[in-house]
Amino acid sequence: MSEVVIQVEKLTKHYRLGTIGTGSLRQDLQRWWTTSVRRQEDPFFRLESADGNTAPSDKNNLWALRDINFEIKQGEVWGIIGQNGAGKSTLLKILSRIVRPTSGVVRGKGKISSMLEVGTGFHPELTGRENVYISGYILGMTKEEIKSKFDEIIAFSGIEKFIDTPVKRYSSGMYVRLAFAVAAHLEPDILIIDEVLAVGDADFQKKCLGKMREVSQSEGRTILFVSHSSQAVVNLCDKALWLHQGKMKDIGSAHEIVSRYINSIQKFKLSQSWSTPEEAPGNSQVRFSYVKLIPQLGNPDDIMDIRVPLTVKFGIWNMADDVMLGFGLHLYTYSGECIFDVPSPSIVCQKGLVEAECTIPGDFLNDGSYYISIIVVRNTSVALFTFEECLSFELEDYRGPIQWFDKWMGAVRPKLPFRVRQTENVFQ
Amino acid sequence: MISKEANVKGWDWTISSRTKWWGWDFKELWSYHHLLTGLVRREFLLNYQQTILGPVWILVQPVITMFTYVLVFDKLVGIPTGTLPPVLFYLSGIIIWNFFSDSLGGASNTFRENAHIFSKVYFPRLIMPFSMLVTHFLRFLVQFIFFLIMIGLYVIFGGMPVSFSIWTLFVPLILLLIGGMGMAFGLVLSVTTAKYRDLGNLVPLAVRLLMFLTPVIYPLATVSEEIRWLVLWNPLTPLFEAFRFALLGEGTFTAIQLVYSGVCTVLLFMAGLMVFNKKGDKLIDVI
Repeated sequence: MSEVVIQVEKLTKHYRLGTIGTGSLRQDLQRWWTTSVRRQEDPFFRLESADGNTAPSDKNNLWALRDINFEIKQGEVWGIIGQNGAGKSTLLKILSRIVRPTSGVVRGKGKISSMLEVGTGFHPELTGRENVYISGYILGMTKEEIKSKFDEIIAFSGIEKFIDTPVKRYSSGMYVRLAFAVAAHLEPDILIIDEVLAVGDADFQKKCLGKMREVSQSEGRTILFVSHSSQAVVNLCDKALWLHQGKMKDIGSAHEIVSRYINSIQKFKLSQSWSTPEEAPGNSQVRFSYVKLIPQLGNPDDIMDIRVPLTVKFGIWNMADDVMLGFGLHLYTYSGECIFDVPSPSIVCQKGLVEAECTIPGDFLNDGSYYISIIVVRNTSVALFTFEECLSFELEDYRGPIQWFDKWMGAVRPKLPFRVRQTENVFQ
Repeated sequence: MISKEANVKGWDWTISSRTKWWGWDFKELWSYHHLLTGLVRREFLLNYQQTILGPVWILVQPVITMFTYVLVFDKLVGIPTGTLPPVLFYLSGIIIWNFFSDSLGGASNTFRENAHIFSKVYFPRLIMPFSMLVTHFLRFLVQFIFFLIMIGLYVIFGGMPVSFSIWTLFVPLILLLIGGMGMAFGLVLSVTTAKYRDLGNLVPLAVRLLMFLTPVIYPLATVSEEIRWLVLWNPLTPLFEAFRFALLGEGTFTAIQLVYSGVCTVLLFMAGLMVFNKKGDKLIDVI
């Protein structure tokens, strides 16, 4: 197998909050006097005991990372996920040699480049051309490298015309594209990327993701990638590391970790309702009164597995007379792929409550987590309101007599007529 | 940061909590030399690109300062400048003092001005102060050439004798020591001022006061023997006097004083590098 290029061992990063280390000469002198000269305890801070058992809840202590261990092999693409403050950025900063760990070691092989921000080193007064060079140098490229790739970089960014204009006159999209184009042409052995795809338009994001995937697959480059977009992590990464409050919560294949992570941060919503239109989601024309997902269980204690038909029922307050209303039911997998978009018939409605119901048959969806969005449409053409992710649920697996234990592939698992018969008998 | 023992175990680099006083990776530093030239270029483009006079501005500041000094210290106060024309005397003092104080100031702002870059990307931090040194050296070079032209004018039209001697060959060494000392102070200050903000306000004041203890606006020869120690402890003093002697033919210094300056510069520079190396990495958490 491919060799390990990064090895992280017992990595810990500890910040002292409050007055410690914030730069008062008097305090530091006082600390030095008491600890070094008089050999007494630190007047401002009690050092944690040798076994490290200080309560992490102590308000002066922040464990940004605690005891992180993992190994990355060459050519792997890793996603790092976790909520804000989970330590993702701290981890990337340590790996990119920007900050030092409090304890623990990172060992690595090969040249490492990091992109924790779009356009590091860009100066608004300089032209695009100058900025390509300076940010390329800062990211660790040589003059020859940039020169040879300059045309490619400009073509990738798509701003040929403006290359000699100061970047302060660029739109933010152009700025981001140029900055990313430089980084996309880096050729390190290990590339570290933080959240940068959150900016830029959808097309350019796709282009960047495509470029990154191409690079990791064709050139065997190792990539570490932090993103809030779980879709991007699933699409791009083989492996994922889930950080929670500075600790490793889970590690494994990107698909599994992302769906576990999403499940944990979002509780399933099987029904929501509002008693008055004022607080209900919607706008001046329509407001939701309730949404419900009713599993057609034979017995209320049964588990919701893939055989169970699911009825989606919802009601809206219609605020205007004589409008033709219809609905669309969008079902998504948790990683964000749309499974279907089912339209309802449209009817003419008066002011008041309008209710609708749709049943997703049993033996149709695969096991997994799903969410539903409902869109309200006027005159079969105008989208009035979309209630995003109003319901979410998980379907358990059911395989019956089948002895296949791996993950069942596909977004749906419909029971289609499937005929098997023997037509000839060759054995005499 | 990159420890040698890592290579033994088959790793290219290791990152741990230990920082070292020594352990510069000069190969790594060299691999970023394009960044250094790029930063120098950027500095010049930013300062002079969108101005009408452009690089002429490099000369405006010392020339105006020189006229002020001539007016105040020569005409009003009447400080004797020996046989030297006051214009050349003050100009020489101003350009090398500027080189020193700019090198110092440039290096001392390393962490405060680049905090946003340092917190986003790694490169050898030493590149930044070195790029400032090179920038200020180039700026000095322009002023120096102007100064040489002025000497030429005085020689041709003012009847001033040509006073180049064997010491003229020492000018590059003198400049190296002045720039090195400026950067050495700057390196120490870059760490301490980033950590202790109060010092940041003190530095420009201290530098200004130091100027009065350096023979910039007066020749050492005019300082009376009793208080000459006030100026002589300053390792810059022999360098300034030697610079004037080498180019204008008048200056008071001994070889031992020059050695003292050289030793001071080397020691300060090493101390600066060590502090920068040891403490610089940990600063990112604080700034």
